[in-house]
Amino acid sequence: MTQSSLPRPKSEISLTVNGKPETVHAYPMERLLDVLRNELGLTGTKEGCGEGECGSCSVLIDDTLVNSCLVPVLQASGTCIVTIEGLASDGNLQSLQQAFLDCGGAQCGICTPGMILAAHHLLIKSPQPSLEEIREGLSGNLCRCTGYAQIIEAVAEAARRGAAA
Amino acid sequence: MRSHPVDYELVAHGTLPAVLSLLAREPGAWLPIAGGTDVMVQFAAGKLPARKLVSIWNLPELRRFDVTPDEIQIGAGCTYTDLRQNECVFREFPLLSRAARWTGGIANQNRGTIGGNIVNASPAADSLPALLVYEADLLLISSHGERRLPYANFHLDYRRTQLAPDELIRAVCLKRHFSTYLPYARKVGARNAQAIAKVCLAALGRFSAGRVEDVRLALGSVAPVPLRLLETERFLKGKQIDPHCIHAAKLIVAAEIRPISDIRSTAQYRTAVAANLVAEFLGQLRALSAPGEKKNIRLEKWNAERAEDAAQSILPCCGSKAWARGMTARRPILDEASLLAASDDVWNALSESDWLEAFRSHPRIGESHPPAHASTQSAAWSGEEQGKAALAEEAVRLALAEANRAYERRFHRTFIVCASGISASEILAILLRRLQNEDSTELREAAGQQRKIAQIRLKKWLSS
Repeated sequence: MTQSSLPRPKSEISLTVNGKPETVHAYPMERLLDVLRNELGLTGTKEGCGEGECGSCSVLIDDTLVNSCLVPVLQASGTCIVTIEGLASDGNLQSLQQAFLDCGGAQCGICTPGMILAAHHLLIKSPQPSLEEIREGLSGNLCRCTGYAQIIEAVAEAARRGAAA
Repeated sequence: MRSHPVDYELVAHGTLPAVLSLLAREPGAWLPIAGGTDVMVQFAAGKLPARKLVSIWNLPELRRFDVTPDEIQIGAGCTYTDLRQNECVFREFPLLSRAARWTGGIANQNRGTIGGNIVNASPAADSLPALLVYEADLLLISSHGERRLPYANFHLDYRRTQLAPDELIRAVCLKRHFSTYLPYARKVGARNAQAIAKVCLAALGRFSAGRVEDVRLALGSVAPVPLRLLETERFLKGKQIDPHCIHAAKLIVAAEIRPISDIRSTAQYRTAVAANLVAEFLGQLRALSAPGEKKNIRLEKWNAERAEDAAQSILPCCGSKAWARGMTARRPILDEASLLAASDDVWNALSESDWLEAFRSHPRIGESHPPAHASTQSAAWSGEEQGKAALAEEAVRLALAEANRAYERRFHRTFIVCASGISASEILAILLRRLQNEDSTELREAAGQQRKIAQIRLKKWLSS
């Protein structure tokens, strides 16, 4: 149901994504999730529930974990975004990603980018988290395959290897 | 049906006065959006009636705490993460701090705001019962000025509030005079994280001369609005709490609430759980108050200590600072059984490095001198625990020393065993067996022994 006969203009929005300055043309209410995937081609960020319940679309905005399905892109203007594509460098997996591989922390893979971003955020805030902190840090991310045990073990292993450093 | 962003306008003005003047120019036309954790959900579902939105996310005037000696003013734009991290909220308003922790996962706590939660006016919102029992005031601001309103009067009916179309909540004000109350908060939902409550209770109570001097009870998810249980409170004031009183209070609770059956639960279940939560709270209050009845003086004193002092006091029972902090955060702890259960919970959830810290506070078994950093209390307890081992014959002592060295070469730490009441030769046998363990098995076994040591020390600490 379009209210006015004239199409609304898109806005020019600048933001930094994985260290690279970007300018996108988007409607201000477009979800950050859709802009990342459709405008910037960063399809690592997944859509699960689309209502902030499952954490699949987790990204960092200015080092803060958010569900990108709940962020209108205008509110991300001028910020620094980190997506799953921003973690590996020079073709090498980040040690947290390696720990997920080593511990069997990923199965079907839909939750994995969000799970890793949530774990990355946790290890930035708390480099040696307790098991309780790991469970709490990942409590907003749902996984229907692993039963969580291997994921929690992967984060603990990454902490032992000094992933946050 | 999903919404299309082309149909929506969203502006960001950057300052509070600019937003207020926009709201004043076209009252009711603009919907404020803060962190989007409610508005964007409606948007995604195609159920957002507003077509024009104005961003109030991160407005500096709304995202601040102002603390005076009498009051804390929490900016309406503060997120749940901000609330959890604020020292004054953490120390003095534990019900709000806990509710912030229960709300959504970390990502939603990073975006959801206290003002948004109030205006969204869900009767199931986790933080609203806490605001009722703390008798919060709201500061409402418009381009005409500011008014102060008791939060208890804010909700008119299901999702109808006193907020005028040109107004925003600027801040939530809490009086800083609740430190002498027993706080109680419990949420009952389908799962711990990311669940909307079936019922939640926030309660405060205080005793004087064995009778209830003041009590405040508020429930979520049992009425069209977050509900203060004024009838039940009136009944309880001045009473001694005994089983008859608790039974009567449960009946009044059941009569006072108006729960519905919906997707999350039934009216019958909600009524039963609401009454049980109030009864549980009253039971705790009774345990604190009843004169001479299993009241533990040590715990009572410890419950009232400043957090750093309380952590310092209990530290020698374990040796891990994270454990001591975790135990302190669980106060008030009312009896020995709860203390021992809390210790196991906290200990089992610690990281490996915290376990290792606790291990390091023990002397090598069969040696009398404790590590230089161990506290006097810890050293005295180690002496008692290892008393029987110390009586060993020379040959066993030498073998034990040798095995200790082998253990330290193998695992790079001191051998931990709960030595109370066992002889040196028994310890030697255990040590030799454990030398064969895999690293991870041995870590768990040592942690299990340390858990037992903490239990024994906590009992001694209680009677100290």
